[in-house]
Amino acid sequence: MTDELETLLRDAFPDASEVRVTDRTGGGDHFLIEVSSPRFDGLPLVEQHRLVNEALAAPFASGRIHEMRIKTRGSQ
Amino acid sequence: MSDLREKIQTVIDNEPVALFMKGTPQFVMCGNSERALQALRNAGAPVTAVDILPDPQIRQELSALSGWPTIPQVFVKGELIGGADIVQELGETGELERKLAEALGDDYRERAEDRVVSVLTPA
Repeated sequence: MTDELETLLRDAFPDASEVRVTDRTGGGDHFLIEVSSPRFDGLPLVEQHRLVNEALAAPFASGRIHEMRIKTRGSQ
Repeated sequence: MSDLREKIQTVIDNEPVALFMKGTPQFVMCGNSERALQALRNAGAPVTAVDILPDPQIRQELSALSGWPTIPQVFVKGELIGGADIVQELGETGELERKLAEALGDDYRERAEDRVVSVLTPA
């Protein structure tokens, strides 16, 4: 699951300098998502997270993800 | 628009700060809802809470309206601010207080009091 999410994020943010997916509990359903990408530059946090949510919409809709914590960073 | 969706929209539009959460401020049922609530309280926000747990339809309709998949969701003056991570981060940087003052006026702390409303029609 971690690899699957990471692949989806790499596809959605090809210019990302960092994509990290951490299984927070080891149970495969609570994830910390960290993405650093210049695409976030100048965007409010709510729009930054929206882009991440959109990238992971399919696995999220499947109900296999119980919790996603998101940390986004721009190119700075 | 469904009746439920209309009620949710009314809360979003009319409450200064609306927090859609799992449980209530008195009995929080999820760590993420707790994080959002704490960040709002630390910023002195007047919080109107809606418990989404009593009916799964609430969450469905809310996410359809907001385009945001997870709970909690925080709205200030009708605008989606974000979920737990964002509200916590904005709280830590002081941005949340600035946003609240900008949207609600500098004296927003004077009205700080938790309130719980239901979007369900009484049976």
